[in-house]
Formats: sequence, structure tokens, C-alpha cells
Amino acid sequence: MQALAAFRDARLSRALTLALAVAALAAAGCAGTPRFDGTSLPAVELDDVPFFPQTEYQCGPAALATILAHEGLPVDADALAPAVYIEGLRGSLQAELLAATRRHGLVPYRLRPDPDALFTEVGSGKPVLVLQNLGLDRFPVWHYAVVVGFDPTRGDVLLRSGTERRRREPLRRFLRSWARADHWAFVAAPPDEPPVTADAAGWIRAITDAARVLPPSSVDAALDAATSRWPAEPIVLYASAVRAGEAGRWQDAARAYAVLLESDPGNAAARNNLANMLAEGGCFGEALAQARAALAAVRVESPLRPAIEDTVDTLERRAYVGAAEPDYCAAFP
Amino acid sequence: MRRRRFGPSILMLCALLVAPLQTTTSYAAVIGTEQYLGALERERALERIDAVLAREAVRERLTQLGVDPADALERAAALSDAELVALAENLEELPAGGDLLGVLGVMFVVLLVLELLGVTNVFNKI
Repeated sequence: MQALAAFRDARLSRALTLALAVAALAAAGCAGTPRFDGTSLPAVELDDVPFFPQTEYQCGPAALATILAHEGLPVDADALAPAVYIEGLRGSLQAELLAATRRHGLVPYRLRPDPDALFTEVGSGKPVLVLQNLGLDRFPVWHYAVVVGFDPTRGDVLLRSGTERRRREPLRRFLRSWARADHWAFVAAPPDEPPVTADAAGWIRAITDAARVLPPSSVDAALDAATSRWPAEPIVLYASAVRAGEAGRWQDAARAYAVLLESDPGNAAARNNLANMLAEGGCFGEALAQARAALAAVRVESPLRPAIEDTVDTLERRAYVGAAEPDYCAAFP
Repeated sequence: MRRRRFGPSILMLCALLVAPLQTTTSYAAVIGTEQYLGALERERALERIDAVLAREAVRERLTQLGVDPADALERAAALSDAELVALAENLEELPAGGDLLGVLGVMFVVLLVLELLGVTNVFNKI
């Protein structure tokens, strides 16, 4: 028994040495990261964000319930557990929190991985769901919490976390634990309200990922919101054109692709889709010309090339030189 | 350990039969927004079939991990193609936010020391 105890002591002292070494390394690692001292941050606290104290391992459902209920949804942590909790992992996966948000009719928007974006969202009234690693890179302890404020007088981040309704964490500690989780954070946005820190590509990505689950009217609302906020962004034009095509409005779609191609003539994907829309309307001659131009513009190794080759093949079988076409075809160059 | 347990081949057959029905236009070569974004983001272009198989793999894995089969089906249905493929490949290695009750033994001591040194903040939550 004594030998065993001695062995344990030896292991313990090795563990302590290791711990000190790791601590030194971790401290050194932090010195290299850009400083964000929060001195410029204004005081903010979203006091009306509800709180759902977590039960064992269930910080995922609790944090998710917090941000969904803030958007007015009648949910609580228990109701969300069947949607995001995994007994075998004793936890919840990030992707599943996003998926469950979609199933509740909201668009999960992943924030830019920096403190500015996080606190700008909180300042705009949005509670932010974050992943923290409360342990170390090698020995992670993953935890979900919701950032609801910042107190500049004490330099504390305010969170709904675990069983604490108003948890304070010193800014630097919080930022380190968040950095160890790759600065993962998202907000739950109503489809017609892109978050203040959203960019066009990020919002279109978020809508596209949610499109299978959201009601079609929500997808349209999200695209309309994108169009009014970023009217000239190519990715917004592209997504709106695809949507118009899916809805059978080939002329609207063709016009949108034509607008996009004016500013970005080398966009082979848009040109390919324009060809398909023209074919939809029976304008095979122009469709084939556009399809060939798309094929000429696409890189050989592009993953989009097979679809474009497909378009050309299909149209070559359909188009006849000199064949009669509807009059409106003349309107589409 | 990469898991690649893409369900039975009958599923692949179903997917092939269903795939052409998913486009509403008669011309199947429209490049959708998801595919376009994938190319912009330099991801591997996801074939529809990959996502269908990954969805089945994720559903099955969730069920094995204790999720109710009906819930697992709905949960897998709400994931995007890229998320599905990521989960199908390494679900167990991804962060699963839970709690710290699984931290035991030597790890406890290491974390306690680091906590005292101010590097981590596990125990503040207790």
C-alpha cells in the first residue's frame, strides 16, 4: 500500500510539474495574441434576457433556450434537450445548436471571430451564444454560455452561464476561454433582420444553410432583407436569382443574372444559370451561346465545371441554328 | 479514427431516384447557391449524394449515442450539407459542450493548479 501511495505521490508531483510547465507555455502563448483591453467598450447589459439554469451537462439546451426565448419563442431548456442533447457525449454539438435554431424559424448567424463583433451584437440588443473552453487545448472542458453584457467599471463580461443568472468573468479570462474555442459564437436572427455585424456573404450562407428547414416565406423575407441592405452585392444578386428560378420566374432570374454579369462578366456560374433560364423560356440559341461562354470562362479544375459541361451538352442537343424562337428572346442578349 | 459508415446501398439507390426530382426547373444544371458558395469557399464541391449518405450516417450515429430515433431523424434533417459531412466524418472529435463533471483524477489536480494560477476558469462556475 505504501508503495502505491509513493507511486501516487510521484505521479502527483509529475502532474504538478507538468501543470506549471503548461501554465508557463499558455501564458507565453497568450502574450502573442493581439490585445483587446475593452477600454473603449461602453457599458451594456441586456437585463431582459431570460435565464434557464442548466441541469447536469445540459448547458447546450439551456444556452439555446436563452437566446430563442429572447426572440419571443415559447421554449425552455427541457423542451430543447431532445433537439440538441446527446446522452452518449454528455453534451451538445455546435452544428446541432445551429440546426435547432433553424427548426425554430430563426437564422443562426455565426459571428466574425473577434471581440468587436461579439460586443457590437450585444450592444445592438442581441444576446450572443458562445462556446468556451474552460480547460486547456489538450484537456478541453467545453461549455456554452450566453453573453448579455459588459461592465467597464470592473472590466467584467456578464453572462447567463450554468446555474448563474448573472455571472461575471474578467474580460481577459473570458476572451482566453473563448479563444480556446476558436471564438465560436452565434446569434439567432429573425429572417427579416440580418444581425448588425453580418456581411452579405455570411448572411447568404446562413440563409442557404437554413433554407431546407425554414418556411419558404421566411427564406424570401431573408433574401429581401439582404437585397435592401446590400443591393449591389454579387452574392445577394446570385442568391436572389437562384430563388427566382426555383420559383419558376425565369425572366426575373435571367434579368438578375444579366445585371450580375454586367459587373462581373467572368462569373461562369451566373452565366451557366442564365443559359438555363433562357432555355427555360425557349430561347435556345442565346442559351447555347451563354453556356459556351460560361464553359470558356470556367477554370479547368473548378468544381463547377461538370455542371457547366452538362448545360452545354444538353443545349447542343436542343438548339438548332435558325430555329424559330419566341419574340421575347430578343430582349435577352 | 474516421468513420465512414455510409448506410446500405438501397439508400444510395433511393437517393439516385430522388435526386432528379429536387430541381424544380426542367434544366438540372443550374448551379444553386449552396454549390456556388461551396466553390467560392474552396470547399470540395459536395455532391448531393454525399450529403444524403452523410445524413443517414449522422442519424444512425446519433441514435447509437442515445438520441431517440425519431428525434435523430429530425435533427439530421436540419443540418446543412457541409455540417452533415463534417459530423459524419468525426462526430466524436468535435467539441460537445456539456459540463465539467467528466473531469477526474490527475486532470482535476492539473486544472486546480492552473485555476489557482489564473490560466483557466473551470472552477469559478461551481
